[in-house]
Amino acid sequence: MTFSLFIEQIINGLIIGSMYALVGSGIALIYGTMRVLNLAHGEFYMLGGYLVFFLVVTCGVPAYLAIPIALLAAFLLGALIQRLTIHYLLQREGWAFSTIAVTLGLSIFLQNSALLLFGENVQSVPYYVTGIVEFAGVRIPMQRLLILGVAILTIAVMTYVLKATRLGWAIRATSQDRDAAAVVGIPASRIYLITFGIAAALGAIAAAMMAPIYAITPWSGLPILFKGFVVVILGGLGSFPGAIVGGLLLGVVEAVGVQLTSTEWRDVIAFALMIAVIWVRPWGLFGSKS
Amino acid sequence: MFEPLRPWQWLLVAITLAALAALPLLSSNSYVLHVLILSMIFGIFASAWNLVTGFAGLKTFGHHAFFGIGAYSSALVALHSGLSPWLTIWIAALIATVAGLFIGLPILRIRSMPHVAIVTLGFAEIVRITISNLQSITRGELGLWGIPPFESFTLPVLGEMKFTPADKAGYYYLILVLLVFSTGLITLLMRSKSGLALVAMRDAEDAAESLGVNLTRHKLLVFGVSAFLVGLAGAFFGHYIGILTPSAAVGPDLMILVIAMALVGGLGTLSGPLVGALVLTCVVELLRDLNDLRLLIYGAIIITVVMFLPKGLATLGPLVRRRITYLRAPTTSPAKHL
Repeated sequence: MTFSLFIEQIINGLIIGSMYALVGSGIALIYGTMRVLNLAHGEFYMLGGYLVFFLVVTCGVPAYLAIPIALLAAFLLGALIQRLTIHYLLQREGWAFSTIAVTLGLSIFLQNSALLLFGENVQSVPYYVTGIVEFAGVRIPMQRLLILGVAILTIAVMTYVLKATRLGWAIRATSQDRDAAAVVGIPASRIYLITFGIAAALGAIAAAMMAPIYAITPWSGLPILFKGFVVVILGGLGSFPGAIVGGLLLGVVEAVGVQLTSTEWRDVIAFALMIAVIWVRPWGLFGSKS
Repeated sequence: MFEPLRPWQWLLVAITLAALAALPLLSSNSYVLHVLILSMIFGIFASAWNLVTGFAGLKTFGHHAFFGIGAYSSALVALHSGLSPWLTIWIAALIATVAGLFIGLPILRIRSMPHVAIVTLGFAEIVRITISNLQSITRGELGLWGIPPFESFTLPVLGEMKFTPADKAGYYYLILVLLVFSTGLITLLMRSKSGLALVAMRDAEDAAESLGVNLTRHKLLVFGVSAFLVGLAGAFFGHYIGILTPSAAVGPDLMILVIAMALVGGLGTLSGPLVGALVLTCVVELLRDLNDLRLLIYGAIIITVVMFLPKGLATLGPLVRRRITYLRAPTTSPAKHL
C-alpha cells in the first residue's frame, strides 16, 4: 500500500468519523441534559435517511431544500416522541431503566414502521456534488469533502448555540442542575423537549449526508446507534465536545484497523476499543473522574 | 418474595406442574408441543435475564451472547468430538458461565446504568460478528446444520423417550425438567442470604456495601448463574432446532423478545418472566400469518407495558383486586358507619 493511499484512508476515516460525531453528540446531548440513554437514536438517523430519500428521489425536491425540510421533520418527530413517552416516564420512579426500555420498544416500532412504509429494498440518493479533488497524489471525492464541511459547520453552529445563546445557557444550566435551573425560571420539561428535537435533527443531518454513500434500509439505524454508543463512551457519556473528538477518533481507528485486518472486523474493532476504554477510564478518554 | 409459600400457592405450583407433565399424554399434537417447548426455552432465558436485571438490578442488554455461545459451543463440541449432547449441553453452559464472568468483570467497575447497558450490548455484538465471521468453523450465516439430536433412552414406566422432529415428547419432558431446575435454582438463590444481598444491592448499592455486602462477589455470582442458565437454554435450543445461524441464535431480536417477555410478565418477580414467555410465544404463533407485523407489535407491546403497566401482568391481579375493592368500598363502608 502506498503512502498516499494510506493518507486517503485516514482522511476517509476522519470523514466517516465526523458523521459518527454528529450521531454521538445527539446521544450525548440527550444523556447530558436528561440522563436518558436513548436506544431509539439510530432510528432518527434511519428515518432522516428515508425523509431525504422521499423528498429528493420520490418528490424531486432539490437537495438544498430537501435537507432542511428533513431536519425540521426530524426535530418535530423527536420532540413529539419525547413529549409522548420520556416526558411522563421522567416523572415516575425507576425512570433510569424505564426510559431505556421504552426507547428500545420505540426503536423496534420505528424500524418496522419504516419496513412497512418503504419496504425492505435498499435505497440510495444520488450524489449531491460530483467530481474528485486531487492533492499531492491523494484523491478525495467532492461528496466526501462536502460531508466534512457540513459536519464542521454543524458542530460550529451547535457550539455557538450551546455557548452563546440563551437557549444554550438554559440547556447547559438544566444539565448541570435541574432544580437550580428551575429556581431561576428555566422550564426543564421544555428544555428536554427541545434537546430531544435537536438531537434527532443531528442524527438526521448525518443521515442526509451519508445517504448518497451508504444504503438506506429499515435496519440502518442499529449499526449507527452502536457506533454512537462507542463514541459517547470514548468521549465521556454526556459530553458534547467529548463526542466530537470521540467520533473523529473512532473513524480513524476504524480506518487503520480495517487496513490491518479486513472490513468484516470493523465493528469488532470499535467495540473492543470501547470495552478497553471502559476498563481503563470509565469516565471517558477526555472527561474527568467525578 | 421472601415469604414462605402458602398452601394454596404450593397447590397452584403442583397443579401447574402436573398439568404440564400430563399434557403430552393427552395430546400428541406436535405443533402444540413445539409452541410449549419454545415457551419453556424462553422461560428459562427470561428468568435468567430477570435474575440479573430485575433482582440484582444490573441492567444488561447482552444476554443473547450467552444464548449463542451456549448453542454454538454445544453444537460444535458434539459435532467434532462425538460426545453426547447429554454431556455437551453442560459443557456449553459452563463455557457460557466463563463468558459471563469475563463480561461481569468490567461491569464491576461501573455503577452507571447506561454504561452497563452499552458494554453488554457491545459484547453481544462482538460475539455475534465473531461467530458470523468465523465461517470455517461456524459456517456463518449459511447456518450450522447436522447438529446431533439427543440420544433416545428407555424409562421403566413411561416407555422409550425419543428425540426426533416427529416425536417431540422427549424434548418436551427434557426442557420441562430444565425449566424446573432453573426456576428452582433461581428461587433457592433468591431465598438465600445471597438473594437478600442482591436485592439490597439493587435498591441501594452504597448502603448495601456499607453493611458488609461483598458487591464484587455477588455481581460475579449473579452473572455466572445467569449466564449458565441462558447457555443451557441455548444449548438445548441448538440440539432441538438442529440448525443455527448467528442472526437466529445471537441476533439482537432475540434479546428484544426476551426483554419484552420479562417486562410483560413483570420484572423482579419469579413468575413474571415465565408468564411473559408463555404469553408472548403464543402471541407470536397466533400472529404467524402477520409475519411482517410481528416485530412492530412487539415494539408496541414494550412501549405500552412500560408506559401503562410498569410492573407487568404479574401485578395486574392485585391491581384489579384493589380496583374492585375500591369500587365496592363506597357502597359498603357508609353502611357500616350508619
